[in-house]
Amino acid sequence: MNSRVQGGKPMTCPRCGAEMNHHADKTLYFTEADETRSVDLATSAFVEEIHACPKCGASASRTISN
Amino acid sequence: MQSRRLYIPVILGTTRMGCMSNHAARVVADELSKRPGIETNLIDIGTLPLPTNDAGEATKHPDFSAHMERADALVVVSPEYNHGYPGLLKHVLDSCLKEYIHKAVGIVGVSAGPFGGTRVIQNLLPVMRELGLVTIFWDVNFSSVQKAFDQQGSLVDGSYIRRIDKFLQELIWMARTLRHGREQVPLN
Repeated sequence: MNSRVQGGKPMTCPRCGAEMNHHADKTLYFTEADETRSVDLATSAFVEEIHACPKCGASASRTISN
Repeated sequence: MQSRRLYIPVILGTTRMGCMSNHAARVVADELSKRPGIETNLIDIGTLPLPTNDAGEATKHPDFSAHMERADALVVVSPEYNHGYPGLLKHVLDSCLKEYIHKAVGIVGVSAGPFGGTRVIQNLLPVMRELGLVTIFWDVNFSSVQKAFDQQGSLVDGSYIRRIDKFLQELIWMARTLRHGREQVPLN
C-alpha cells in the first residue's frame, strides 16, 4: 500500500501481478515525512491514486505527478 | 457472485476497563460470524501499542494497518463520552488513511442514558467521511446499556438481535457493492 512510483500507466498488483483498478484519488496533506513527494505548493497537498486488484483484492497507491 | 469472503472487523473503540461496549462489540461480532461468506475479528484498541506522542499515519501500527487494508467494511463500536467519541478511538482511526478508501462503515453507539450513543454517532460521521469510508444509514443504539446485558455479559434484550440483523444486512450489501466498485469500476 506504500508505492511511491509516479505515473499514469495501469498499476500492477504487488501480490498477484494482475492489472489493478484505479478507483479513487485522495488529497493528502504535506508533512515533513513527505518532503520527497510532489507537493502542490498552493495547498501543501498532494494527490494519491488508490488502486484495487480485481483478482485478489489487494490495494495499492501511488502519488500523482503535478 | 463474488467468491472471496468479505472481511468485516469490529473495532471496540474504548480502552476503559470493564466497559459495557465490550459486550456490545462481542454480540455484533458473534452475529457477523454466523453469516456465510463473512470473516470477522474483534479488534480491541486497548491492545494496540500506538504511541501517543505523535499523531496520524506517523503512529501507524502494521497489524492494525493490515486489518484495515484487508477489510471490506468496518463496524465501529463507540461509547459516548460527554456527547463525543473516545479520544483514543480517534487516535487509532487516524493512524490509517488510504486503507479505508471506498469501504463501508457502520457505527454502533453505546450509552448509559436513553439515547443510545446517537450523539457520538453523529459526531463520528464527518470523521468517517474524511477518512474515505462510506457510512451506512442503519445504526445500532445500545441505550441504558447497563440494562441490556446481565452480569455475565449476556444480552438480556433479544430485540437487539433484530436491529443488529438489519444493520448487518445493510453493511454487507454496501461492502459487496463497494468491493465491486473498487475492483471493477474505474474512476475515469
